[in-house]
This record gives sequence, structure tokens and C-alpha cells, in this order.
Amino acid sequence: MRLRHPAIALAFLAALAFVSQTRAAPQTFNTALPIAEDEFVLREQFIYRNATDDPSLADRRLRVLGGVSVLGYGVTSDLAVFGVLPYLDKELDLITPGGQRVTRDTSGFADARLFGRYTVFKDDAQGRTFRIAPFLGLELPTGDDNDRDSLGRLPAPLQLGSGSWDAFGGIVLTYQTLDYQVDAQAIYKLNTEANNFEFGDEARLDASLQYRVLPRELESGVPGFLYAVLEGNLLYTEKNEMNGVTDPNSGGTAFFLSPGIQYVTKRWIIEGIVQLPISQNLNGAALEDDFTVRVGFRLNF
Amino acid sequence: MTVMPRPTAVLHSLVVALLICFFLPVPATAADDQAVYTLQADGLACPFCAYGIEKQLNRTEGVDSVETDIKTGTVVITMTPGATLNETDAKRAVEAAGFTMREFKKKDSGG
Repeated sequence: MRLRHPAIALAFLAALAFVSQTRAAPQTFNTALPIAEDEFVLREQFIYRNATDDPSLADRRLRVLGGVSVLGYGVTSDLAVFGVLPYLDKELDLITPGGQRVTRDTSGFADARLFGRYTVFKDDAQGRTFRIAPFLGLELPTGDDNDRDSLGRLPAPLQLGSGSWDAFGGIVLTYQTLDYQVDAQAIYKLNTEANNFEFGDEARLDASLQYRVLPRELESGVPGFLYAVLEGNLLYTEKNEMNGVTDPNSGGTAFFLSPGIQYVTKRWIIEGIVQLPISQNLNGAALEDDFTVRVGFRLNF
Repeated sequence: MTVMPRPTAVLHSLVVALLICFFLPVPATAADDQAVYTLQADGLACPFCAYGIEKQLNRTEGVDSVETDIKTGTVVITMTPGATLNETDAKRAVEAAGFTMREFKKKDSGG
């Protein structure tokens, strides 16, 4: 297990501790806050992911650029449904066993997700709310899972889609006040087999703190809120299986800490966050992440 | 000898006066025949959520404008002349936005 960027993480935690006044929705996962009945919320997030920490001799360098579109609709004030459609551009640079450096890449729409979230508990008071909402969904095999280049079929992790129908479910909790917001989520994704390949199941725990830093004193009306954000993601992935054989160089546990910023108005939100791997305890020669940058916006309409 | 203003000068003055009237800010006060209501929306704690309440209330028949004060959770609803708002409709709108209405009252006088 390796600790990375600990100084940055500690510095950000210290900075948050000195934000005296305060503390909006997480950027690396969902929230339990409502979508009004018969209303839509659109979210666009642009992603840049870099993973170059390769313990193997292949010296792999993975770069993923993409955009994720999320459309949420309030069926009722308690029930919301979401559709998620990623567009990704993946590039893997590596040294072949013959010693030649090659680049393999693909781009296009990846696997879409559909899920529903239902608020089972709500406690509202003046200027604060606490909500608990379980969710259940399905990842659809909409991405290309049989892309090829001059070297043959791309390896499964580099494909845009898994080819499989994968269910996921979990629960998200949100406690929000005028000054700060805390969100926590637990999620499990059950991956199934396609093309004789099965990605390992995934379990993750997420937490987010958002402190309102501006305005320091609330005025009348509905001013825009600027939040300082700190999110944490603990991700556990089981090993992949190919032709029924477990891949020893896949899966493991990783913890990411993500400082970010968010500006929230009545109609729109702009936001940005950097996910930094603090600890990556991956199996065998699994490729480790360097960082992921996420910037985006949300629209109420 | 009386000097009469030229018609073009009069017209010019009228246009300027009309433009000034058009661009002057209109006070956001209700007329005497416009009922004004206030309600307390519990659970409201961020700007993005305020829009949901305002939009649901604006869909209610007879609502002219909605103003939210996020600090106090107070929502002020001004009706179109002659229209009224009942508590059941107000509560339904707030709940449809995902929040809880704690208090509902009509202001004594519009304006």
C-alpha cells in the first residue's frame, strides 16, 4: 500500500478546519436531495483521467478524456429517475513483449446507466434537511465491446463497453444546512459475463463535505453560494475473470481524496474537483491512477 | 409673442419620456387588489432547491410572482389581481418540490 499526495490532503483538511462560517451536491457521486415533481435536472461533467503508475515492464500509460451527461427527472418529489450516458476517448500507451512502444485507443459512447432513487426518510426543519434514499439501477451494454485496431481486439478494460448487463444498488444519505452539507453513499455493482470476460464486482463507500465560504453572511433573497468541497471515495474491486480464470493483475482497494469547489445558484451550478489517490492497494501489476480531474455544470430547467 | 414648440420637439420629448418610463425599475410591490401570502418552507437550505419551490408555486393558477428568502425559508407569493391562494394548493406545491410547508398566512394588505 502506498500513500500519495498526503501533504496536499492534510493541507486541504487543515484549510477546511479554518473555514469558520460554513459549508452543496457531491461531484464524485449522487445526493439524496430532491428533484421537484415533473422537473428535469441536467448535469454535464468533463473528465480527464491519468493512470501511469505501472508496476509491470509494459510501462502502460492510460489517458481517458470524456464527458458524462446525466439527466434526472422527478417522477414525484420522492421518486427520481436518472439516465447517465458517458462519451469517452481512451488511449493506452504500452511496450509490447517484443519491446516496441505502441498506442491503442478508442472513442465513442460507453455503457449507459439507468437508475431510480426513492426517498424513504425525510426530516425537514427551518434551514436544514436530512434524507435517506436507496437507489437501484442497471448498466446497459451500449458501448462498443468489440473494438479492434491493427494489433487485434482491444483488451476488455480498454473497450468502451463491457457487453454485459450489470445491476447496481445502494443508499445515499444527505444532511444539508444553510452552512454546510454532508453526503454519504454505499454502492455495490454486480458485474456479469460477456465475451468470456467478467469484470470483478465493485463496492464503494463515498463521503462528501461541502462548506459554504461565500457569502460569509447570508443576505435576503437567494444569493449564489460558493462551497469548498472535500470528497473521499473508498473503492474495492474484485479480480476480473477471463474464460473462467481469475486475472491476478486486477482488482484491489483504492482510496481517493478530492478537494474541489462549487458555485451554486438557483438555475445552475458550476463545479470542479481533483481526485487524488491517497492509497492504492491493487492486486499484482494492476495499473494505478495518478489523478482524475472533473469539471462540469448542472442546470435546473 | 408666444413661441409655440415645434411638433417634432413635442414628439421627441414624448418618446424620451416613454423610454424613461419603460426602463425605470418597477417597484416589486403588489397592487391593492393583489393578495399576498407568505409560507415557511422547511428543508430549504440551498439555492438550487429554491428554484423547485418557486417553479411549483408559479404553476399554481393565479400566482403572479414568487420570492424566496433562503435565510429564513420564507416564500412570498403575490397573486394576480382578484386571485386567491388556498393553503391546500400551497402545501401541494411545496411538497411537490420535495419540501415541507410549516406555516401559511395571508398578508393583511397587498403592497
